[in-house]
Amino acid sequence: MSSNRLVWTRTSIWLGFLALSALGLGLLPAYGFSLAFWFYLLLWITLASGLNIMAGFTGYLPFGYVAFYGIGAYAAAVTVKMHGLPIWAGFIAAALAGVVLSLMFARTMVLRGIYFSIVSLALAVICRLLIAAMPEDVAGGSYGISLGFSNPDGAYYAMLALMLATLLTVTWLAQSRLGMALRAIRDDPDTAETVGINIGTVRLKAWVLSAVIASMTGAIEAWYTSIVDTETAFNLLVSTKAVIFAVAGGLGTVIGPVVGTVVMLIVDDLIWQHFPVLNVFLLGLVIVLLMMFLPSGIVGSLIRRKPFLRRILF
Amino acid sequence: MLDVQSLRKVFGGLVAVDTISFDVPENSILGLIGVNGSGKTTIMNCINGIYDATEGVINFRGTNLVGKKPYEIARLGIGRTFQVPRLFRRLTLTENLMVPVLEDSRSNVELTEKANALLAEVDLYRIRDNHAEELSGGQQKLVELLRVMMLDPDLILLDEPFAGVHPNLCKVFLEQILKLKDAGKSFILVSHDLTSVYSLSEHLLVLNQGQKIAEGNAADIQHNPDVIEAFLGR
Repeated sequence: MSSNRLVWTRTSIWLGFLALSALGLGLLPAYGFSLAFWFYLLLWITLASGLNIMAGFTGYLPFGYVAFYGIGAYAAAVTVKMHGLPIWAGFIAAALAGVVLSLMFARTMVLRGIYFSIVSLALAVICRLLIAAMPEDVAGGSYGISLGFSNPDGAYYAMLALMLATLLTVTWLAQSRLGMALRAIRDDPDTAETVGINIGTVRLKAWVLSAVIASMTGAIEAWYTSIVDTETAFNLLVSTKAVIFAVAGGLGTVIGPVVGTVVMLIVDDLIWQHFPVLNVFLLGLVIVLLMMFLPSGIVGSLIRRKPFLRRILF
Repeated sequence: MLDVQSLRKVFGGLVAVDTISFDVPENSILGLIGVNGSGKTTIMNCINGIYDATEGVINFRGTNLVGKKPYEIARLGIGRTFQVPRLFRRLTLTENLMVPVLEDSRSNVELTEKANALLAEVDLYRIRDNHAEELSGGQQKLVELLRVMMLDPDLILLDEPFAGVHPNLCKVFLEQILKLKDAGKSFILVSHDLTSVYSLSEHLLVLNQGQKIAEGNAADIQHNPDVIEAFLGR
């Protein structure tokens, strides 16, 4: 089978799978399923896939990814609560906030490797402190903002839509010229530039895209819980979990973060059910074992061991 | 085509290239030779924008390259291979070849076909879906040259193209260089393989400790006492 036909076939199968999953997930509220688990499954798939755009496709691991998530949650909460606007206006505000913050932080991409990761982490902490220090009538102060209403079903569908949009974007990216340029930059930014890629512009596109996904996720989570505070919205565990889930599945692949999130959440859930006291210890152990035996993640390692799978999985 | 005037590159207190001038005419091969640390690769790096020249002018078809970014220089029509091949290791061979032409207006199908045709010419088509990191060093050098060919530049900088390459692959490499030369391309060739440099280059520049110690054709250079001293010592 020719390469182009193979790409078309695997993309069609993947899109078909996404459509069926969306249908199944869309029916859950109607059948009275508890939405909490499913909402957060969608949320983590979205965040892990959003982070994958930066870390997997471009090679920049933003430990401070939570900054975009937090700013999105706050932008939505302030828009809705302080200005009395509807939630969709909050989503728009969250997306804009993500764009603005990512442009403000874009300069940090001149750094590489661990230096970039540390600086992004520091910037997330600075964001949290700045928002906590703002007057209560502007950003709720250290107590945060209560939206005063919640709509879990609405938030669930919004998260489902965002997850689908994110996965479709990543699917497109994986096969687009932009995606190829990003992967070239990931492998060797200097060489990418010497063969004609404007690495600054290309990286910026990925950075903004990744940031908007996180800020929209934060906004929807705010709607779901109806409360936003700096400790939760800028909790570094958000970045950590997104990184773990994406790495567990396989950075740089489309389905890796999805598989990683599903597997890790199920493992986490099982550990909670059977060994609640040892939860953190056992989850840590699973992560260590995963990295020891599958260093490129579940999907990534599978592809490395069986190169022909590269033509099927992506 | 390329006119380098009084090029100087200083790293801290080290003068890596000391006020060197030369030119590369259209459809020609300029050989750059010298012992390790003589400044050959630094000159290449200044031409393709990896280093900013400390002083001097590098004129390529009327455009001064000094201060331009590597991607701008590549788009002006200067391609480059490296001493240690620098492929995108987790991209397939076809993808590696497509990276320089991502801004091209041609369709993906057309570009893929062109990339695969080039791979077929050097018998690498059958492993086109392999990642570059799975290739041998010699094969990587070959793919690097093909990647330059995809960009279709007018001037190609080749840094040690024959180092560590199996003789059979060297032959393929030489064929590709001569084919490109026939198509009107120009080259700057850096190599320690003096036999190849002498046979390929119309003009040679000999460097020692950042300075030009001789220039001329192969016959002139081979008998130049300064060159013999620089290479073999007194």
